Amino acid sequence: MDDRLLLIAIGALVGVCSGLAAVALNTGLHFMAGALSGLRTHWWLFVLPGIGAMLSSLFLEKGVREGAGHGVPEVVYSVSRHGGLLRLRSAFSRLISSCLTIGSGGSAGPEAPVVMSGASIGSNVAQFFSLNERQRIALVGCGSAGALAAIFNAPIAGLVFTIEIIVGEWSARNIVPIAVASVAGAQVSRLLQGKQIAFTHLRFEVGITATLAAIGLAVVTALVSIALTRALRGSHHFSGKFPLPFWVRAFLGGCVVGAIGLMLPEVLGEGYHSIRQMVEGSFAPGLGLVLLLVAAKIAATSFTLGWGGSGGIFAPCLVIGSFSGLMYHRFLEMLWPGLSLVNEGCFALLGMAGLVSGILQAPLTGIFLIVEITGGYETILPLILVSALSTTICHAWEPASFYFRDLVEKGQYLRPRTDAKVLADLSIAELVETDCKTVPRSMRLGEFIRVIQQSHRNYFPVVDPETGQFEGMIHLDDIRPYLFDPLLYETVFLEQIMETDVETVDIHDELSGVLARMDAKGLFSMPVVSADRFIGMISKATLLDKYRNELMVQTLH
Amino acid sequence: MEMQMLHIFRNTPLGREMLLQSAYFCKQLEILPLIYIPDYIKFLMYFENDVVQVDLDASYLKAPDSAKAHASEIVQGMGLPQPRFFAPKHFTASTLPDLPVDFDFMCCPRSISDLSSKIGLGYIGPRVRRIVKSARFPVLIPSAVYKPWTSIAVLFGGSSNAVKALRLGIRLSRRCGLPLDVFSHPESRSRQDYENILQEAGLKEDFDNYVRTWQIFENRSFAENMYEIPHDALLVLGAYGHGLIKELLFGSTMEVVQTVTPNSMLIVGPNYRAVI
Repeated sequence: MDDRLLLIAIGALVGVCSGLAAVALNTGLHFMAGALSGLRTHWWLFVLPGIGAMLSSLFLEKGVREGAGHGVPEVVYSVSRHGGLLRLRSAFSRLISSCLTIGSGGSAGPEAPVVMSGASIGSNVAQFFSLNERQRIALVGCGSAGALAAIFNAPIAGLVFTIEIIVGEWSARNIVPIAVASVAGAQVSRLLQGKQIAFTHLRFEVGITATLAAIGLAVVTALVSIALTRALRGSHHFSGKFPLPFWVRAFLGGCVVGAIGLMLPEVLGEGYHSIRQMVEGSFAPGLGLVLLLVAAKIAATSFTLGWGGSGGIFAPCLVIGSFSGLMYHRFLEMLWPGLSLVNEGCFALLGMAGLVSGILQAPLTGIFLIVEITGGYETILPLILVSALSTTICHAWEPASFYFRDLVEKGQYLRPRTDAKVLADLSIAELVETDCKTVPRSMRLGEFIRVIQQSHRNYFPVVDPETGQFEGMIHLDDIRPYLFDPLLYETVFLEQIMETDVETVDIHDELSGVLARMDAKGLFSMPVVSADRFIGMISKATLLDKYRNELMVQTLH
Repeated sequence: MEMQMLHIFRNTPLGREMLLQSAYFCKQLEILPLIYIPDYIKFLMYFENDVVQVDLDASYLKAPDSAKAHASEIVQGMGLPQPRFFAPKHFTASTLPDLPVDFDFMCCPRSISDLSSKIGLGYIGPRVRRIVKSARFPVLIPSAVYKPWTSIAVLFGGSSNAVKALRLGIRLSRRCGLPLDVFSHPESRSRQDYENILQEAGLKEDFDNYVRTWQIFENRSFAENMYEIPHDALLVLGAYGHGLIKELLFGSTMEVVQTVTPNSMLIVGPNYRAVI
């Protein structure tokens, strides 16, 4: 069977499995919402999100020993560094933990967990069939797309999100199986949950005024996106300063969310109910309260995810974005009461797109997601405008998106066919040149000149002949002053002219770091030393050869 | 290039025995021990087609202040130079380091992740099995107590992995200068079949030159015949070389061997690539 057809067939299978995972999570959330709805009237139940977050963190750490995280950065890390290898336990762990967090009222979304779950399904199916790295990455994408397509009933958004965020490479080889998986995931969702869209489709007549007003909304959503990004990171760092067990932290964070929810219940859970009201134009609270809700939802999301709860930021982005859009619309109407703007529901949609695009710095995902979950293209012009501008403004303030920032800071954000990726796929061991002639420090200059005559190299490592310990280097330039004075041949020893303060490379060093050191010091080659023993030399010339080979491998396959 | 053996050190008496075994192995083969003293209870190993999460026994995190000094003392006491200590550079999550898999050997106790009470004969933990299945390097599974080995024994059943094990055994014998004994338990093969396998694998000449004795067990069960293996031999054998179905039906040879022999074992998995 042709490789591409095989990948498409397996991709469809992965899409179906991911779709089932998404439906399972959705069903779980509905069940928990139904089971706990009667209890919400009790004031003491502000501890409910705390209990949910605590159980969720205990399940992740002690039950399945996963290690925390939002999911998507781990998938991207795995694709970047390890060819999409993911643990099997990730296929179900985040579904259960996020169900506990969100179902009990925590402010988070189910999308990142299902993406993690779908990606893990794809990765493990690829491992089962012993597929190669590129095929495995494509199946990780298939799982992610199928899951997102199923949870939102939005196949195009699933495809675009996967290509923009997870795979990072627009190539036909990836797009075709991922598109098929996306369709399979969405179809599973439609079969099991009905052909429903998340929010009511309303016809909005968008005029030039609304389109121009969207520019201002882009600025607002960009600022809110930056605030949310920083609040999430700040909350995570702040919670880490408390010397408390992880589950106590998660409990406390959840209790704060519960306390906020006592006064402002709109911040609890996914918050899709509020979005529906806003899109339909029936959300009653005034401008001041909406402004408060924006701040409260940011705080609730930060306390949920930053303190140890499990879930994603997609749904909170949609809620905060719709609050922001509504707030902006009402603010404009307050300033210019006669302004004939489109219905405020349209601005709620635009706000969602602005926030998703800003936080993820993925404008196409924002545009297609909103188009698909609202079922209409009428708002496409301002949608594009808001998404593009919000992404650009956010990028100026926060150069990396929420998902990528940690990876970028650690140098682990490696996209295919980029310099960083090529360098990361090469190791010092592959580049080391071992045909070097070592010399002892006790060697006389005359003898050394005879060694040089038989060698084609310019560098000569000085090594202790008894212990094998690396002691220094001699470069041809170092002996130039003595070359033309034969009297010195028998009187000068290498230890007198060798360089002892030599920059060395460890066999396990990262190549990108070594290259940076070479550039900074103007070096063309460096000795590789391991456990004080000289291993060989690494040079830019060899690096260039291997770099080209690796680039060709990455480009051709 | 110098070869390296990864050893995950636990600062306990049991861990000391394990490190003594690793250090002895390194000394015999003139390779460098690379010691990882874990800061976290778990780590990941990304192999070519599998990712293995190892959840360590809590004893691996005991007494971190003295761990480095103890490990150095044990290794240097064996006459080896100051060992290198490995510090992870990459993390999948903040408390989940990634360990590279490009070592030449790795030392695993029979179980790396379950309770210490299970470490001993009769139990190889699931993580160690997965490491053996996925690794390109051979895995040293030492006996519970340090015991120097003075010869090398290879179990040669004729499978593709057994051929790899035999090749490794010959190389080890050549490198250490220790005698090599080969043991075969024919199921449906004759001596001539084995010789044909050796011929096809290009091992006939080395086999004749390096193998001290070759015992082909004719009678008794496989487990009973294990008594013939010298008590002070390093046992080299291939694992998971018979295919999934046969192993599901009849069990793995490795599992049988490790339940009846106390020897240190060097296991060659299906993905092993020769390094020496």
